[in-house]
Amino acid sequence: MVGVKMAAAAAASIRERQTVALKRMLNFNVPHVKNSTGEPVWKVLIYDRFGQDIISPLLSVKELRDMGITLHLLLHSDRDPIPDVPAVYFVMPTEENIDRLCQDLRNQLYESYYLNFISAISRSKLEDIANAALAASAVTQVAKVFDQYLNFITLEDDMFVLCNQNKELVSYRAINRTDITDTEMETVMDTIVDSLFCFFVTLGAVPIIRCSRGTAAEMVAVKLDKKLRENLRDARNSLFTGDTLGAGQFSFQRPLLVLVDRNIDLATPLHHTWTYQALVHDVLDFHLNRVNLEESSGAETSPAGARPKRKNKKSYDLTPVDKFWQKHKGSPFPEVAESVQQELESYRAQEDEVKRLKSIMGLEGEDEGAISMLSDNTAKLTSAVSSLPELLEKKRLIDLHTNVATAVLEHIKARKLDVYFEYEEKIMSKTTLDKSLLDIISDPDAGTPEDKMRLFLIYYISAQQAPSEADLEQYKKALTDAGCNLNPLQYIKQWKAFAKMASAPASYGNTTTKPMGLLSRVMNTGSQFVMEGVKNLVLKQQNLPVTRILDNLMEMKSNPETDDYRYFDPKMLRGNDSSVPRNKNPFQEAIVFVVGGGNYIEYQNLVDYIKGKQGKHILYGCSELFNATQFIKQLSQLGQKQ
Amino acid sequence: MAVDITLLFRASVKTVKTRNKALGVAVGGGVDGSRDELFRRSPRPKGDFSSRAREVISHIGKLRDFLLEHRKDYINAYSHTMSEYGRMTDTERDQIDQDAQTFMRTCSEAIQQLRAQARKETHPQQVKEHRSAVLDFTEDYLKRVCKLYSEQRAIRVKRVVDKKRLSKLEPEPSTKTREPMFSEKVSQNPSKDSEEKPTTEEYPEKIPAEAHPELGTWGDGKGEDELSPEEAQMFEQENQRLIGEMNSLFDEVRQIEGKVVEISRLQEIFTEKVLQQEAEIDSIHQLVVGATESIKEGNADIREVGAPGRSRAVRAGVEGASCGGPSGVRGRTWPGSDQLPKPRLERLVGPAPAVLRLGLTRGRSGATAAAARLGSPPPAPREWT
Repeated sequence: MVGVKMAAAAAASIRERQTVALKRMLNFNVPHVKNSTGEPVWKVLIYDRFGQDIISPLLSVKELRDMGITLHLLLHSDRDPIPDVPAVYFVMPTEENIDRLCQDLRNQLYESYYLNFISAISRSKLEDIANAALAASAVTQVAKVFDQYLNFITLEDDMFVLCNQNKELVSYRAINRTDITDTEMETVMDTIVDSLFCFFVTLGAVPIIRCSRGTAAEMVAVKLDKKLRENLRDARNSLFTGDTLGAGQFSFQRPLLVLVDRNIDLATPLHHTWTYQALVHDVLDFHLNRVNLEESSGAETSPAGARPKRKNKKSYDLTPVDKFWQKHKGSPFPEVAESVQQELESYRAQEDEVKRLKSIMGLEGEDEGAISMLSDNTAKLTSAVSSLPELLEKKRLIDLHTNVATAVLEHIKARKLDVYFEYEEKIMSKTTLDKSLLDIISDPDAGTPEDKMRLFLIYYISAQQAPSEADLEQYKKALTDAGCNLNPLQYIKQWKAFAKMASAPASYGNTTTKPMGLLSRVMNTGSQFVMEGVKNLVLKQQNLPVTRILDNLMEMKSNPETDDYRYFDPKMLRGNDSSVPRNKNPFQEAIVFVVGGGNYIEYQNLVDYIKGKQGKHILYGCSELFNATQFIKQLSQLGQKQ
Repeated sequence: MAVDITLLFRASVKTVKTRNKALGVAVGGGVDGSRDELFRRSPRPKGDFSSRAREVISHIGKLRDFLLEHRKDYINAYSHTMSEYGRMTDTERDQIDQDAQTFMRTCSEAIQQLRAQARKETHPQQVKEHRSAVLDFTEDYLKRVCKLYSEQRAIRVKRVVDKKRLSKLEPEPSTKTREPMFSEKVSQNPSKDSEEKPTTEEYPEKIPAEAHPELGTWGDGKGEDELSPEEAQMFEQENQRLIGEMNSLFDEVRQIEGKVVEISRLQEIFTEKVLQQEAEIDSIHQLVVGATESIKEGNADIREVGAPGRSRAVRAGVEGASCGGPSGVRGRTWPGSDQLPKPRLERLVGPAPAVLRLGLTRGRSGATAAAARLGSPPPAPREWT
C-alpha cells in the first residue's frame, strides 16, 4: 500500500508539474481538460527567449497546436497585427520586455492580452504596463495578469537547470572570478535564488536546506532560506498554502535540499564518460534535449574541384516519449550499440511479417479456394494497417538512435575515448597505472589537445600531493607540445593551493571498471557498429563526491565530510546557525543542487544510486549544464585573468 | 503555482489614473481618453474572418448538440417495439441522417470557402498562417463531430441488422407479437359494427359464432392429421437438420458481418489515405511544374550566356533531368491514377491496395517516406522560430 502511494506521489514529477502549469497557462489559466468534442479555441503565444527555453523541452509544436496555439512568436520579432485573436504572453519581467509589451498595447496588435510573467513582476513595472494600457485605452483588453513562478527549465523527470539564456551570469566562472564585486555577486545569487524559489513553488514544498560552509552554496542557502521564510510569514500571499501542498505531496515528509558547490569536485566535469546520455552531451552538440548532428554526406564521392557539399545538419529531439532513450540513456555505450542492433533486428522481423502478408494477399487472391484464406486475411490486414504507424514510429526512433550512436562512435574511435575513460577511472580510484601519463599526452594519435588537458587536470586534481616542479615542467612541456592551452592548469593550480580540502577529494570510490576483454562482446559482423578496437568497458557503481554527500545527509550518517554542513529550516520561527539537524529521520526525497554548474555524469550517478533505495526520490539541479569543453573554456578564462 | 495578479493590475491602473489626474497629465485617462477610445474602437471592426469562422463553429456546435440530444432515441432501434414511449420512427431517423449529412457538407463547404478566401486575400505572412491554422482547427472540430455522427449511425445500422436477424431466425416471438394484435383487431371489429348497426343484436353474436366453427374445424383437422411416430421422428430429424443448417448459416452470416465491418473500416482508412495522397500529388505536381519552368528558364539563360562548347554538356544534363521529372513522379506515386474516372466508391477503393503495397515494399528506406503517405503524421518536429 505504502509503496503504491509513494509511486503515485512520485508520478507527479517536477516535469509533469511544470507541464501542467504551462498547459494551464496556455488555456487562459483555467485548468486544461481534454475533450474530444470541445469547441476549438485559438490564440497566439508570444514568448521571449526564456519562455522558449522553458516550453520547448516540455511541449512540442504539435502539443501547442492541440492547445489551440496558431502561432508562436518571439516577443522581440516583427509581428504583424492580428486584431481578432487573443494573445498569451509568457515573458520575463525585464525592462526591455515590458517596453515591448507596452508597445504592443499601443499598437493594438491583438484582441486581448493574457500576460504571464515567468517570475514575479515588480509593482513599478506593473504600473508601467498600467500606464501604457491607459494611454492606449486598452485596459479592458488586458484580460488576465499572472505571475507564473516557472523560472527554471526541466529537462528530465528528475533534472532541471536554472536558465539557458543568461547562463554566463550564473556560470562557474562568474562565481569564482577573483575580481567580482559584491554587487555583482549579489545579482548572481539573486538570480539563482529566484529560480530556486520558483522551483519550490512549482514543487509545492518547503525544503530543509543543507549546505557546506564558506562557499557560494552557503550564500545561496542563506538567501533562499530568507526568501522562503518571508513568503511563509506573509500568510495572505503565501505560495505554499492551500491545495498545492496537500495534493500529491506528503507535506509531513519534507524534501531535503542539498546545496553543493562545484568546487568540491572539479574532476567529474572533466571526466570522460561512458554512458549514452553523458557521451552525447560530451561529444555532440546536445542542448535542451535536442541533439544537433552534422552529417558530412559523402565528401569523398563528390568529384574534386566541385563545390564542397554543404554539410547536412540534422537535429533530433531526445524526449521522454522515446522509449529507447528512456531506457538506455544511462547505459554504458557498448550496451546501447547492442540494443540498437537488437531493435533493428526486431523491427526487420516485424517488417518481414508485413511483407509476407502482402505476398499472401497478392498471390492467393487469385486462387480458387482463396476466399476462406482471404477472410482470414482481412483480420490480419486490419491489424497490419493499424500497427503500421506504430511500426513507422519505431523505425524513426531506430534511425534516430542509429545516427546518434554512429556519430558518438566516430568520436570515440577518433579520439580513443575508451582509453581515456579507463585511464581516468584508474587515476580517480588510485589504482596503479599501467601506462605513464606522459605517454598518453605525447601520443599524437590519442585524442584532441583538450582531451589531454582534461586527463592531466584530473590527474592533477586527484593527486595526493602535487607533482614536483620539475615533473610539472615536464608535463607542461608535453602538453604544450600537444597543442594545449595551459590557462586551465593555471587556474586549477591556484584553486588547489587555495582550497583547503585539496587533498580531501581523495577517493572517488574504490571499485574500478574492468575491461571485459577486448572484442569479447564485439558486435556481430554486419552490424553498423563495428566496435573493433573499442574496449567494451562495463561501468561499476561508484559514488561520486556529490552522491556521497547526498547519501550522508539523506540517511543522516555521520561523516566528517558533511558533519559541519549548515542546517536551515525555513519553517522554523527563528533561524539558527547550528549544523545540528532537528529531525533525525532519514529523508525520502532530496534535491541536489550544484551551484556553479552540473553535468550528466553526476546526474546519472545519482540516478543509479537512488535506484537501489526503495521509495526514495532524487532531483538533480544545477545553475548551468556544461560539458567538459565548455567547462575547460571557463577554467581557461579564469586562468587567463591572473 | 501561478498567482493571479489581475486585481493588482486593475488597482495599478487606478493608481496611475489618479496620479495622472493629480499631476495634470492627460495620458488618456480623462476626456481625451474616452474620445480616443471611441475613435479607436470604431476603426477596429471585428475581423470578418474570425466572426465567420466562429459562425461556422457555432453551426457545428449546434449539430453536435442536436446529435447528442437525440443520440439515445436514434440509437435505440427497439424503442418503438419495446415500449410505447419510443419517440422516434425510422423515417425520423432517416431524416436525421439526411439532415446531418447535408449539414456537414455545408459546413465543410463553408470552411473550404473561407480557406479559398483566405488564400486569395493579401495579408501579412503571420496572419495567413494564423488563419490557416484556425481553419485547420475548425476542420478538425468538424471531423470530430462527424465521427460522433458516424459512430452513432454505425451503431444504428448494427442494431437494425441485429433486429432483422432476430426476427428472421426466431419466428416465434414475432408471431406472438402478431397474435395479440390480431385479437385486438377482432375485438375492435365488433364494437365498430355495433356502433354502425346498433339495432341488430344478432350480428355481434354471429361473428363469434361463425368464428368458432372455423376454429373448430381447424382443431378437428389437427385431430385428423394425427402424425404417426415414424412421421414425427422424420419431422424431428428434419427439424434438427434445419436447425443445424440455420445455425451454420447464422454463424456464417455473423462472420461475414464482422468481415464487412472490418472491410468498411479499412475502406475508410484507405479513402482517407487516398485523399491525402491526392493532395500530396497535387502539391508535387505544382512543384514539378514550377521546377520545369525554372529549368526552362535556366536553360534559356545558359543558352544566352554559355560558350557553345562548355555549356552543351551542362544543358544536356539539366534537360535530361527535366524530362524525367513529372511523368516519373506521377507514375510512381499512384499507379492507379489512370483509372480515375470510375464510380466514386470504386475509385476510392481501387487504388488502395496499391497504396499499401507501395508503403510496404519500399521497406526500410521507404518506410519513412511512406509515413508521410500513410497518414500517421510524423511527430511534428519542434521548430522554434
